[in-house]
Amino acid sequence: MSRTVADMVPGERRNGVAATVRTRAQVLLMLVRREFWEHRALWLAPLVMLGLVALCAAIGRIHLGVEESATVQGEAQRVAVLTIIQAVLAVPLYVVAMFVVSFYLLDCLYSERKDRSILFWKSLPVSDGLTVCAKLLVALVVVPLGVFVLALLAHLLCTAILGLRVLSGTVPVVFTWSTYEWLRTGWVMLLVTLLAALWYAPLAGYLLVMSAWVRRAPVLLATLPVVIGPILEWLAFGTRHFMDFINYRLNGVWWLLGVHNTRLVTKHGLYSVGTALEVLNFRAVLTSVDLWLGLMVTGALLYAAIRIRRFRDDI
Amino acid sequence: MTAVIEARGLSKSYGATRALDGVSFSVEPGRIVGLIGPNGAGKTTALKAILGLTSFSGELRVLGLDPCRERDALMREVCFIADVAVLPRWLRVRQALEFVAGVHPRFDRRVAENFLGKTDIRLGSRVRELSKGMVTQLHLALVLAIDARLLVLDEPTLGLDLLYRRSFYDTLLNDYFDKQRTILLTTHQVEEVENLLTDVIFINHGQIALSASVEDLGSRYQQLNLTSEHAAGARALQPFYEREVFGRVAMFFEGRTPAELGTFGELRTPSIADLFVAKMQRTDTR
Repeated sequence: MSRTVADMVPGERRNGVAATVRTRAQVLLMLVRREFWEHRALWLAPLVMLGLVALCAAIGRIHLGVEESATVQGEAQRVAVLTIIQAVLAVPLYVVAMFVVSFYLLDCLYSERKDRSILFWKSLPVSDGLTVCAKLLVALVVVPLGVFVLALLAHLLCTAILGLRVLSGTVPVVFTWSTYEWLRTGWVMLLVTLLAALWYAPLAGYLLVMSAWVRRAPVLLATLPVVIGPILEWLAFGTRHFMDFINYRLNGVWWLLGVHNTRLVTKHGLYSVGTALEVLNFRAVLTSVDLWLGLMVTGALLYAAIRIRRFRDDI
Repeated sequence: MTAVIEARGLSKSYGATRALDGVSFSVEPGRIVGLIGPNGAGKTTALKAILGLTSFSGELRVLGLDPCRERDALMREVCFIADVAVLPRWLRVRQALEFVAGVHPRFDRRVAENFLGKTDIRLGSRVRELSKGMVTQLHLALVLAIDARLLVLDEPTLGLDLLYRRSFYDTLLNDYFDKQRTILLTTHQVEEVENLLTDVIFINHGQIALSASVEDLGSRYQQLNLTSEHAAGARALQPFYEREVFGRVAMFFEGRTPAELGTFGELRTPSIADLFVAKMQRTDTR
């Protein structure tokens, strides 16, 4: 036990030293770490997917959708294959992360009320604003960047595994290492990751508000309006504006980027992912009014989630 | 010194129910105050208002701060254990220490580790693996290590066995409490905290039924134990509560002198538990 009342000098702060100063950034970092303690799926699920991807590289068959032996000729072609593998490997990681993050956002402010642990978190000198911001930060910045790094790792791992298979002669020489193209592909992925995070921010805000607000079944109650809404609109007015809106918010960033214009695999040959830098319209996304309107809505939703957590008193 | 808690006309309604109905009281520093009342009396609502967890009308200052508007600043000086075991079940003991150390400027990790060293709690355990008593010990360890000025406890020992309850209060008194600190607690087990309290506030139907220091209770309230043949004479002095057990009558008086009552029977200072029952079930017409 510490010291008893008797050994204490009156007026002395027990710590001996004045209170330790903690900056807002330090507290925020602690809050972010806390999220990964509680929601282990945030890092476990992408890691498991990384393992699966590596397993595929070790035992899977390689199929590019073209006649490898016929088309993959020459240095440029083999470098293109390298970058295409890099981009394709990232897809399952990002898909898993999106699912995990969505469920995380719906759960994070709901479960703390359900198990009443919110009373413990609220007994500490951490504001509701910082707490909720940390959760949004995890969803829109920490996990996406983490998955980006993981995707690079996955590619290095798979390249090493495939390289060994090439050396052992079990698969043909279909790719060549190029640090420059590797970096260019990484750059494309990073830009797309950041733009997607910005585009999907209002969706994250919506899930946070639902998580803070509903009394039960957050997954059901968050999906219900987006399913029932379009049906009701169609029944009542015969129109499908709501449906189009949802579709746009879910896929608009890809339309604006012009992902459909990228042709990496053509009958004339393969192109490295880096060529997408000239094709993808990053400017169109960044100058899109809808992106910035979405961010304003995100701010409003974030504010709403903070207010709800701060002032609801039915716990 | 200024009061730690100063409430004036504190009110709070849930729909048609008035949980707090114009409550006024103050808590001085260095006191251990028991907020005592039956279920639904408004105890928890009062604590929630003090901790800035609920809105209210009326005036309330805690450590000179407005608990609603200045909640974050207040939480640096105030600790609370709300109800039992609200520690999240997924949390590991080590993580609990690390988190509180990471966010609380007045947390001394060594104190908490010291305390935990005397228990059976292992640093690697998750809260869900601990018994209810151990979870309370863990929460107590965290709270003891925070150099706070006000500690609020809402039924901290509910559902614990006698050994844990006893050691909880012993630890609180020996290792935590000093003249710079104030403790405000609610409990149903009045007998257990009886010797701990310096002040009591009885609350019923959202109103204060009694607010006094324990020293004052002795001079304000008298319990008279007497046989039934003397009862009629004593009843003329208007006891506010009386009950009969095994032919003996116990009467409770307010503001009578020993000289007035002593002739009827055995005079004593009522225990807080008895006084609580007497106050809540008063049998006089008032």
